[in-house]
Amino acid sequence: MDRRKALKNIGTGIGTIALTPAVVSLFHSCQTDVSYSSVFFTENDFKIVSTLMELIIPKTDIPGAIELKLPEFVDAYIDAVYDEKRKGRFSSGLEEFLAAGIKDAGKEKAIHLSITDWDSQLAKYLKLGNEILEDEKQAAKFAGELRSLTVNAFKTNEFIGENVLAYAPIPGKQEGCVDLMETTGGKAWSL
Amino acid sequence: METNYDAIVVGTGISGGWAAKELCEKGLKTLVLERGRMVKHVEDYPTMHNDPWDYKSGDVITQETRKTQKKQSRTNYTTNESGKHFFVNDIEHPYNEVNRFDWMRGYHVGGRSLMWGRQSYRLTDFDFSANLKEGIAVDWPIRYKDLSTWYNYVEEFIGVSGKNVGLPQFPDGNYLKPLELNCVDEVLKSSVDGGYSDRIVANARVAHITEGTKPGLGRSSCQYRDRCARGCPFGAYFSSNSSTLPTAEATGNMTLRPNSVVHEIMYDADSKRATGVRVIDSETKEIYEFKAKVIFLCASTVASTSILMQSTSDSFPNGMGNASGELGHNIMDHHFQVGAYGRYDGFEDKYYTGRRPGGIYIPRFRNIGGDTNQKEFLRGYGYQGGASRGSWTDTVSEMAYGADFKEEITKPGDWSMGINGFGEILPYHENKMILDYDNLDKWGLPTVTFDATIKENEKKMRIDMKQQAIEMLEKAGFKDVKGYDNDYAIGLGIHEMGTARMGLDRETSVLNANNQVHDVPNVYVTDGSAMTSASNVNPSLTYMALTARAANHAVNELKKMNL
Repeated sequence: MDRRKALKNIGTGIGTIALTPAVVSLFHSCQTDVSYSSVFFTENDFKIVSTLMELIIPKTDIPGAIELKLPEFVDAYIDAVYDEKRKGRFSSGLEEFLAAGIKDAGKEKAIHLSITDWDSQLAKYLKLGNEILEDEKQAAKFAGELRSLTVNAFKTNEFIGENVLAYAPIPGKQEGCVDLMETTGGKAWSL
Repeated sequence: METNYDAIVVGTGISGGWAAKELCEKGLKTLVLERGRMVKHVEDYPTMHNDPWDYKSGDVITQETRKTQKKQSRTNYTTNESGKHFFVNDIEHPYNEVNRFDWMRGYHVGGRSLMWGRQSYRLTDFDFSANLKEGIAVDWPIRYKDLSTWYNYVEEFIGVSGKNVGLPQFPDGNYLKPLELNCVDEVLKSSVDGGYSDRIVANARVAHITEGTKPGLGRSSCQYRDRCARGCPFGAYFSSNSSTLPTAEATGNMTLRPNSVVHEIMYDADSKRATGVRVIDSETKEIYEFKAKVIFLCASTVASTSILMQSTSDSFPNGMGNASGELGHNIMDHHFQVGAYGRYDGFEDKYYTGRRPGGIYIPRFRNIGGDTNQKEFLRGYGYQGGASRGSWTDTVSEMAYGADFKEEITKPGDWSMGINGFGEILPYHENKMILDYDNLDKWGLPTVTFDATIKENEKKMRIDMKQQAIEMLEKAGFKDVKGYDNDYAIGLGIHEMGTARMGLDRETSVLNANNQVHDVPNVYVTDGSAMTSASNVNPSLTYMALTARAANHAVNELKKMNL
């Protein structure tokens, strides 16, 4: 490994972490259109979960959940990491969440709900100060867990980890108390 | 194949590496036997540069891995995907539990010196004299003065970062520059240092090079990557692979043989000496015998004890050196997973650089004389911990989700701090390991059964450990302070020790003051099994010092023709 080079890169990289349009378009060019076969979610559930995740992490000047393939990550993550019991709990939470959505929107099937419908469901469960009805506790719990999974996927994403958060695979030095803006431009460390 | 050597070392971990280095440097032709596979420094660290996104689970242990590492993974803190190859396969290496016992280990060259926690503290005379003073178990046959120069010696070679503070319960040592405390660590430090007369917040002491270089394979300063347990390409922390084994190799006196499962020490009743060891090749299952004048048993507490137990003969029907009946008994560990954490408001514009390998350490402040003496429990505990900025904050959850939320989670969250107690477990005769000859492993060797629990003294200590942690954080101005006492079972500290204890005589102990088996002076046991009491500090540094001291003794005895 070329330690000298790595250290030099770190030295010049910190403090100037910014996302340039060139970097973004470089990322876009890596996108493929191959359709993904989900391993944990059903095909319909995967579409809905993708919509929900895009509402949680929407596209801004940096890519959103769908473009970052966060739904794919979460699908594979649950399949690989959760045990059967936890998978079952998560699935029944999803069912409750979908059922509550159908009821509130007055529609027949979950797949018929619009982005606006799902947005109001997330708002109901995730915005502070809303009272959660007893029979919607599981749905609310699901919304919270999906948000945590989405944030985890976002922070574990290579593009975000290397370009948006402050990435220092080989910090080379340890300082106890430094200025946040000078050190990372206000960003959290990626690792 | 050469079968005759001056010395045989069993094991290549913290203790075995030191025995190999010392014996080879002193000119002994030394055979070093390791039951696991070869791991070469840097070359065999396949995951050392991986990022979390190189794993589909983000480096979290998967259900697939749990199938073969059920026990190694059940603590949820020992293993992850990037480090799992340094832990044993539980199906191939089974053991039995009367009570839950977490036996976390790796079978490969370097042993747990590759994945250890690296906290390096000295025992003190509070530890060495406690058993005698309190009438517990047996007296240590040594005191701090017997070990202090050896502590200096090993610290000089391995490199330990730390700071001298001049307290008898936290002895000064031979330290490289300390890791820096962060701004919130400093808040706790000034509150504790100023607000208590019996305790301080000190810098952690960790086996990392923080300035200059150290001997071995190009060992240089820590780069603060926090990927230690995968093997360090800079050799910045001490491991056998980067340090002691290459030094032994360089002498030309070492023969290292991996895949060699030692299961028995051979004994000659006429000369009253061990003659060598029996080995099963783990790959071919062939059996070999190797002979030597002196044997260093450094296979780790449970394995070394198990080898002694299997070394039966007319002279030792209950296991080699087991006239006392103490072999396999008195198993100890450090009890932990008790402490407190809290949030700190302020310093929003402050951060830190580097992923440091150690934070703060609060040395023992109970039962060290005067007002510190407790009615409720014997011995003491210390805390390890540190402050950091999290990734989730209350302000973030107010944003719930969406574009502002997304922006907010790219920023560092609130400051929080946790301090975690590590307490001493007393040596109880009834806490033991035995061999099960009805359940054999794939090499036809008996498996180990553990039967050990913590008792009243530890439970009462835990109440104080939690209470004091809460009090210190609250006094320092932390918010939402919460104490915790999670399930702890013996073994989880990964400091199992005491099953072939040192002592003053063969009637009550297995080893003498020089780590020789009382009845077989050419067998030295210098890993955790030698511990007469546990102290409350991380033990590896003490194993190194005991090993170097014992190796020096062995070479002098060989010169005097005493072995």
